[in-house]
Amino acid sequence: MSTPMLKVAVLVAPAIHPVSGRPCTHPADSAALALGLKLAGSSERLTVLYAGAAADEALAGYLAQGASCVTVLPTAEDADIAPLLAAQIADAELVLCGTRAGGGQGSALLPYQLAEELEAPLLPDALSVAIKGGSVEIEQFLPKGQRRSLAAALPVVVTVHERAVPALPYSHARKEAGKVRRLMPVAAKAAEWRYEPAGRRARPLVAASRASGHERMLGAIAADDGKTTGLVVKQGDPVEKAQVLLDYLRDHQLVDF
Amino acid sequence: MTFTLAYALTGLFWLGAALLSLGLVRRAALWRQGRAAPVALGWLMTIPKRYFVDLHHVVARDPFIAKAHVAVAGGAVAVLALAALNYGLMLYLPALDALMLLAALLMLFGAVLVRSRRKAPPARLSKGAWNRLPKSLLAFAVGSALAALLALSGNAFGAAAQGLALLALAGLVLGGAELALGVGLGGPMKHAVAGLLHLAFHPRQDRFSGDKRSTDLKPINLVGKDYGVETPADFAWNRLLSFDACVQCGKCEAACPAYAAGQPLNPKKLIQDMVTGMAAGSGPAYAGNPHPGQAGKVRQGNPHQPIVGGLLDPETLWSCTTCRACVEECPMLIEHVDTVVSLRRHVTLTRGEVPGKGREALANLRDTDTVGGYPLAARYHWAIDLNVPVLLPGEHTDWLLMAGEGAFDMRYQRALRALVKVLKAAGLKVAVLGEVEPDCGDLARRLGDEATFQQLAGKMMNTLGRYRFNRIVTPDPHLFHCLKNEYPVLGGRYDVEHHSQVLADLLERGAVPLKADAAPLPATTYHDPCYLGRYNGETDAPRRVFKGIGIKVVEMERSGRKGRCCGWGGGASFTDIPGERRIPDMRMDDIRATGAEQVAVACPNCTAMLEGVVGPRPEVVELAELVAARLAN
Repeated sequence: MSTPMLKVAVLVAPAIHPVSGRPCTHPADSAALALGLKLAGSSERLTVLYAGAAADEALAGYLAQGASCVTVLPTAEDADIAPLLAAQIADAELVLCGTRAGGGQGSALLPYQLAEELEAPLLPDALSVAIKGGSVEIEQFLPKGQRRSLAAALPVVVTVHERAVPALPYSHARKEAGKVRRLMPVAAKAAEWRYEPAGRRARPLVAASRASGHERMLGAIAADDGKTTGLVVKQGDPVEKAQVLLDYLRDHQLVDF
Repeated sequence: MTFTLAYALTGLFWLGAALLSLGLVRRAALWRQGRAAPVALGWLMTIPKRYFVDLHHVVARDPFIAKAHVAVAGGAVAVLALAALNYGLMLYLPALDALMLLAALLMLFGAVLVRSRRKAPPARLSKGAWNRLPKSLLAFAVGSALAALLALSGNAFGAAAQGLALLALAGLVLGGAELALGVGLGGPMKHAVAGLLHLAFHPRQDRFSGDKRSTDLKPINLVGKDYGVETPADFAWNRLLSFDACVQCGKCEAACPAYAAGQPLNPKKLIQDMVTGMAAGSGPAYAGNPHPGQAGKVRQGNPHQPIVGGLLDPETLWSCTTCRACVEECPMLIEHVDTVVSLRRHVTLTRGEVPGKGREALANLRDTDTVGGYPLAARYHWAIDLNVPVLLPGEHTDWLLMAGEGAFDMRYQRALRALVKVLKAAGLKVAVLGEVEPDCGDLARRLGDEATFQQLAGKMMNTLGRYRFNRIVTPDPHLFHCLKNEYPVLGGRYDVEHHSQVLADLLERGAVPLKADAAPLPATTYHDPCYLGRYNGETDAPRRVFKGIGIKVVEMERSGRKGRCCGWGGGASFTDIPGERRIPDMRMDDIRATGAEQVAVACPNCTAMLEGVVGPRPEVVELAELVAARLAN
């Protein structure tokens, strides 16, 4: 599976637990880490990187899931981290990150900005990643069970879907053995956010008819009084009655014989 | 002639003694592969008391084998002691020969009894070398009796004396070899020496101190990177010694709920697997029942090779419900549950490979402080209309009610509401902690995640330290056990009672206003929770509650300290190892066998497991619900 000497960088960020609000691992980042471990083959060729302002403890979950060292690029809360990350991982051939981070500055836009900075193609939402010679092939997640194969030449940025591979089980021993390495804080320009007033709310659709559902149902079905559009067949033998039904179904293209 | 036999006996005695000593040294070298353990040589003095009181207390539950063992072991020890005196020290006194004859006859009687049981042995007994043992004992008894008789008879036997002397020597050599060589070669008789030493150097010394039950798991030093047991050599040496004490009687196997359910765990085989690992072999001599579904599998073991994956399948490890039925039954006082948890600790702490939903439960505990991943603020939602005050720092309450994880289970909330109603009707000043109450860490600890347990315990003790209360009452035996027995060593000492104890006292004091007994009560049986009955010895309080509300309990065959597990304990309902049957289904069959229409429970987990049994079955009711139903309006 692993290709010798492939340099892999995995970007992780702590997520906020939906119930307790505590920092925890994000399933997509964990999947990216598990893929990274598998593809890099050894921890020397794997860089696990985080840029942001979270405390070391918030990253402990990734250590427990197999990262032997998480490198932290300390930045301010509102920093524009894409250029900083790009500078750190410029020599990586394969950059893996979760489709979207669970918190911090790693929005779903980050992989695109990063790919732009690195001048590398981006393969989004990977379920599996295979290295073939100098190129990467992924199976892309699409809704409703659809999948698509994408390929690009190295170096490449791949965002990983949370169902790609199961994360390594949480291990206390790995957490204790792992290290968080803090780089020198870098002064970064704040991300440029343009604020605009939100547009008008979409107007709810107006129903074509004001009649109640019951009334519309009565209008559609047949009755003896002839006022409705339906037809009540009482004359004739069963074959003729069946012929009426069959004609109706054919008219409405509900049967094709 | 007699003198020639006497010299031969002297020679034989010293030869046997030398071989035995060599064997003991050989076996001791195996034990010493283990880690150091804090022991004192003076503990050897405790052996007689522990043997005649603590061990015999367990053995005496089976009166036949107890009597047989007293006769055969007592006779053999007496024969050996007299032989040491009379022939070892070359006294050759006829009076001692007479005593030896009596002792030999006693031993013969015992050996005949032991032999008779081997005619149609129960399935739990190991065969192989253990079937040979009664024959060896018979040979030794006959040989020593004959030798003593010859010594006493002078020349009465005449020409036959020579033949008889040879017969006596043959018996003594054959029978004596079982002991003299058996210890060093790991034969059945190693149990005598290892068993006695195990009594002295038992890893749980507090088991023998008064009426305290030593059932708490011991903490490990995580800071010192102690991550449990990986290889046989990672056990403390006195644990390795304890494995050698096993007599393969299979009492544990017969009591084990996982074994009965066909899950791949046989506690007897588990202990023998540890022996195989310690002595480096493949255990071909084992002639007992295998782990269910693993018959014929040959597994290599080595003191320095990982146990899980080699000697043991991980499934074996995760089948255990930590119900302690095996430990309760073991006549050699071996600690099976400690062994299982030590092995689990290594798997969980270093690799995290907990099967089934166990991994998810542990993640929830780490992230939300609850097993099910619930918001802490929801723990007391069921009490919202009952006016139970939430304790604030600085306030004081007599009773602190801790609901535990059962508070998130909609079925168990009914029981909790009933409990609150009864406590209030009795006029108790009760309060709860509300959203600051974390999990006690019981599940994490049994699944081997000592790190999460210690973290949760720290959190719990920290929280409790901020509030003022006299006593804690909880309906959850697991929470009860943790707070009462496992927190003290970490520095948390609380006065904690199970709700059955509180209810029993209230009813006996007449503090609960009961309405006159009107409707005839359905036949009721009671299921003892392991963590209340076996872990804490509390089988009486729930029965006092039934008495207080006028319910006559139809007891199950396996009740009280012998009660059978519901299948939840030790996280077994999370790891969910497949078997041929489900443990709660078997327990429900026990309940059906009594003909009872309802079964009373006193534990949120037993409630969940028994409520989960499908099909027509007796009603599951909680103790508190039964009392609440009798409350005067």
